[in-house]
Amino acid sequence: MASQILPLELIDRCIGSRIWVITKGEREFAGKLLGFDDFVNMVLEDVTEYINTEDGVKKVRLQQTLLNGNNICMLVPGSSGPEDA
Amino acid sequence: MSASPPQDQAGASAGTVGTPADFLKGVIGKRVVVRLTSGVDYQGLLSCLDGYMNIALEQTEEYVDGAVVNRYGDAFIRGNNVLYISAMESI
Repeated sequence: MASQILPLELIDRCIGSRIWVITKGEREFAGKLLGFDDFVNMVLEDVTEYINTEDGVKKVRLQQTLLNGNNICMLVPGSSGPEDA
Repeated sequence: MSASPPQDQAGASAGTVGTPADFLKGVIGKRVVVRLTSGVDYQGLLSCLDGYMNIALEQTEEYVDGAVVNRYGDAFIRGNNVLYISAMESI
């Protein structure tokens, strides 16, 4: 059987590199992935938070951040965020 | 979902540092900004927290749209409201 990779294995391989996190709401995060747990709570470093509003995109810079997995919708490994897409 | 706190489950990515459990251990006593899903920010000194992301802050400032609207000596935040906890100094 061809080798298969599980979704969270893919994210595990992404530890140490940059990742783009898209939430259920109007927010996105891009940063270096330091780790995550079974709930996909994530620790990110050198983070940019992108807040999509009617007036445009607001950017917030953050240092080491623990992102609650509750609101996470999609992960894009190896991407530096919406500006990189 | 089970009722056990996330830190009991931590270690999915075993052998690495920087997991959520490690972050929680390292961030106690540091100045942090806690953002709720509503967009309200709480800045303060993190006195303690648990695996549910329940948080106790000291010298807390409440920010709405970037402006301070309240100050609290001590504040407790229930974890289900937390979007993220961000360290304002290095861990």
